[in-house]
Amino acid sequence: MTMARHLIASCLLLLGACAGVAADVYAADWVSYRDAYRAMVVFEKYGGPKTHIQNHLQVVPLEKGAALDGLQLTLAGKANQLRLALDPLGRTVFPLLKAAYDDNATLLLEGKIGAFTVRPRVSLTLKADGIYDDAELRAACEQALGFARYADASLRARQCGGVRFVFARRAGETAVRLHRADGTEQALPLASGAAFAGEIGEGFPTVVYRFAGAATGRTQVISANLPLAILPLFD
Amino acid sequence: MNKFSALVLAVLSSSAAAQTPATNPMPDGSRDMYVGLGLASAARYEGAEHSERKLLPVLQVQWSNGVFISGMSAGMHLSHDPRFEYGPLLELQPRRDESGNSGGIDGIEARASIVALPLAAFSQNRLSGVAPVSTRLLGGGFLNYYLAPDWRLTGSLLYGAGNDRDGARLDLGLQRLAMQVGAHHRISVAAGLSFVNAGYNKAFFGVDRNDSLLSGNPVYRPGGGLKDGHLGVRWNWDLAPSWMLTSNLRVRRLADDARRSPLVERPTNVTVSAAIAYRF
Repeated sequence: MTMARHLIASCLLLLGACAGVAADVYAADWVSYRDAYRAMVVFEKYGGPKTHIQNHLQVVPLEKGAALDGLQLTLAGKANQLRLALDPLGRTVFPLLKAAYDDNATLLLEGKIGAFTVRPRVSLTLKADGIYDDAELRAACEQALGFARYADASLRARQCGGVRFVFARRAGETAVRLHRADGTEQALPLASGAAFAGEIGEGFPTVVYRFAGAATGRTQVISANLPLAILPLFD
Repeated sequence: MNKFSALVLAVLSSSAAAQTPATNPMPDGSRDMYVGLGLASAARYEGAEHSERKLLPVLQVQWSNGVFISGMSAGMHLSHDPRFEYGPLLELQPRRDESGNSGGIDGIEARASIVALPLAAFSQNRLSGVAPVSTRLLGGGFLNYYLAPDWRLTGSLLYGAGNDRDGARLDLGLQRLAMQVGAHHRISVAAGLSFVNAGYNKAFFGVDRNDSLLSGNPVYRPGGGLKDGHLGVRWNWDLAPSWMLTSNLRVRRLADDARRSPLVERPTNVTVSAAIAYRF
């Protein structure tokens, strides 16, 4: 019995040692490319309408207040490395690569923000001229909602309520105005807040445009600056 | 991405219900595989008073076509809808003889007790004299529904257990997948119920006249119904991109006719395991 206990203790120590060594070797923060791929490919496989929406991989620090400015994500495989620049929201276009998947590659974050996770983020596609018809925004929001319902059954009762324009912190004077069919214009109020609902982080300049009444193609939302993202709002 | 990173790593416990890993979309021609080894402490058989320590092989493989092997189960994901998972399912049910549950199929679930129980432990062995239950391949299917990306209802129905191959088992459960509790640590919680037909209970908890004569247990002819309720907690620690430490605690309590069997020494069994696995 004593021998058996020693054997068990030895095995546990071996497990612990293996765990410690492995953890030390990979002290840098990382996430598995395969796990990220699994999350991101859902959008690619989605067969519903998605012409007005796009999907990014977002880096989310687990530590409160960690800034993502200037950070870079590195896709590290056995033979190759690929640098993925992050925007101020921590997003990047995620490459779906069979070679990286088969390599069991990792996503490494250069910079000291501590541990992080990644998640897919759907946003509306941006227009260079900054002019968005009300009907376009509604259609894009519906596309985003369609995908959200596809990926998450708990969202089936939600409805599109509007969109949120998110701007860079140093974007200069941010101005978003509503241009109505009768020619009148109204500036939409600017607020500081997190880019994504429920996210921890410093405030970004944001402007919310709420859908009111029936859709009309004649109402336009005009943004003087290029936003970082236009996000759908589900009520 | 909790749902998507929710690795349901199979630990090859002989008492484990059929396990279906979350669907795992990947590039055509790719696969995702974990192989590992650890230790487990589990009851000798369902309802046994004594536990034994075993080496614990770990295996989970998923291919791009949806086929998976997860512990003693194998199946195929047929759904392309992330809210549903369904498909055919096979499970290898290990042999049970008077020494308890065993396996020995291609080294998977190889019975390798590393702690010899004293003979006195078996002096009251209620399986002594009871005819062994042969290894069986059960067939059926599974259906899972995601209430939300981190919550899923699970169901599986398998048939073919027992020497007469007429045992059926329905497993229903609720899982909270992959709660992130810090960098590289995830915890999953599961609760479930198992329902079986009379054939299943007769095979594993019944005592026929021959068994009674040889074992001294009274004749017992159980019916079908609820077999057990179970709770489980799994902790996965991603040590490195290719290394994981997976630990599991499972409590199972037999119910109704299974619980009343003369073969049952204690209705509640606890299984504890820890294993280190490499991701290929």
